[in-house]
Amino acid sequence: MIRALLLVLWGWMVVWSVHSGRLDLLLAGGFHKLVSASGVALLIAGVMVGMKSRKRQESVSWPWLASAGMAVLVLLVPPHPSFSDLAASRPQGLPEPPDLAFVLPPQQRTLTEWVRLLRSQPDPDLVDGNPLNISGFVLKRGDEPAQIARLTVRCCLADATPAGLPVSWPVDAKPKVNQWLKIEGHMKVETRQGQRVAVVVPETITPIQRPERPLEP
Amino acid sequence: MDRLATAWAIFQGLLLEAIPFLLLGVTIAGLARWLVPQGAWIGRLPRHPLLAPITGALMGFALPACECGNVPVARRLLASGAPLGTAFGFLFAAPVLNPIVLASTWAAFPDQSWLLIARPLGAFLIALLLSALLVQLPEAQLIESSLLAERRLSQPLSSIGLLERGGGLIGGAIPDPQPRRIERPQLSEVLEQSSREFLDLLALLVLGCVIAALVQTWLPRSWLLAVGSAPTLSILALMLLAIVVSVCSSVDAFLALGFAAQVTPGALLAFLLLGPVVDLKLAGLFTVLLRPKAIGITAIVACLGVLLIGQWVNLWQL
Repeated sequence: MIRALLLVLWGWMVVWSVHSGRLDLLLAGGFHKLVSASGVALLIAGVMVGMKSRKRQESVSWPWLASAGMAVLVLLVPPHPSFSDLAASRPQGLPEPPDLAFVLPPQQRTLTEWVRLLRSQPDPDLVDGNPLNISGFVLKRGDEPAQIARLTVRCCLADATPAGLPVSWPVDAKPKVNQWLKIEGHMKVETRQGQRVAVVVPETITPIQRPERPLEP
Repeated sequence: MDRLATAWAIFQGLLLEAIPFLLLGVTIAGLARWLVPQGAWIGRLPRHPLLAPITGALMGFALPACECGNVPVARRLLASGAPLGTAFGFLFAAPVLNPIVLASTWAAFPDQSWLLIARPLGAFLIALLLSALLVQLPEAQLIESSLLAERRLSQPLSSIGLLERGGGLIGGAIPDPQPRRIERPQLSEVLEQSSREFLDLLALLVLGCVIAALVQTWLPRSWLLAVGSAPTLSILALMLLAIVVSVCSSVDAFLALGFAAQVTPGALLAFLLLGPVVDLKLAGLFTVLLRPKAIGITAIVACLGVLLIGQWVNLWQL
């Protein structure tokens, strides 16, 4: 019977992770249905095993119980990753830009699309003065000025890769690391460390809640 | 505290991503046991030192799962008395030689045709190398003890002694000349065994995910990629990254795409070859198949093999 309970516990943990929305914080969207199906399968397997072994006593191994303890912890302690901490130790890197990034009007580009565009078209003068409307979290790497960034994920949080834009922060702005911001403004070309780069010049900065789906493909 | 919270989230991500593949592997292993009763096809697998691992490697096309899903299937193969070479060929090559992984590699690197050939070929060579070395060990030093006992029961008495089988009889027993009729196990029996196997493997997967999450949170990835342009160092760094990151083989090509431009071609290939065979998440899972000595040999030989292939690719491409 204990085996059935453990299977149901694991199934419940997986299904709960899907329905509580925490999967949006942990995994790329392509995996959600697969994870959800595995949770349901585990619940069904647990019920079937329970029906077959209702009256039977069976030995329980301690690794089963230890891992079940982790399942309970996962249920009780939701994930609260520090995106800035995660991004700070990882180099930026994005795949080739999809064509969409080039045809979208500047105001409709997400932060990730801006980064892709600038990486594929390194001449910053081409975007000088373009209006923008982006959201992201404040990323601080060592002594570098704070950036506005997003995490891109192909599989799970383990492979999250940051995409960030330099910002010309207003003098009175004090961006807090990890804080999510919505920035409306325009692009401007500045020379930083001897290189001409496109920099976000904010006109309005609005603190926002972390989006429900903070990870981008 | 922030870092611990990040490690906890990475752990959950790794675990939730791996559970479906583990369940898929256990289900396929269970279904194979139920649909194709023990011995019906195992006896037809080639035992030739070269053909056996080749057959095992090609079996990957029937199981489009990552390395977590392959462990229970490889365990079932070994428990059913399959030739060692076939089981090892499957275990080490199938995580790459399967349609999903090949398609994802193509999707990530459509303009690098050499990689589309080098990845499956390299995985195949590593699997052949590991199989050839591991089968030199006596089974008792190679296979985990409870799996070995299960395997002994599936092997014909003509190939092993009664004492080795551990059946309680010593000498004198004459094998039944009549071929044993193989009966299909009941579904409830298969469900019981598969559920036990799943919980055993899940406990090890949890351990592997904990270690992988802790290590990759405290080991800055930028340090590993900082040596990207140095031929040998970049290969070693990317091998270490593959071991630490522990993402499944069906998506690792997309992860590699993120830093492909910063590293040498040999390092890129090394990352794609080593992860499916050796990583922190797998370390625990392998203990249900192999003894510690065999796991050590697997890790060292796979690393050396991948390093050599990476060096050769760098000589050829740079």
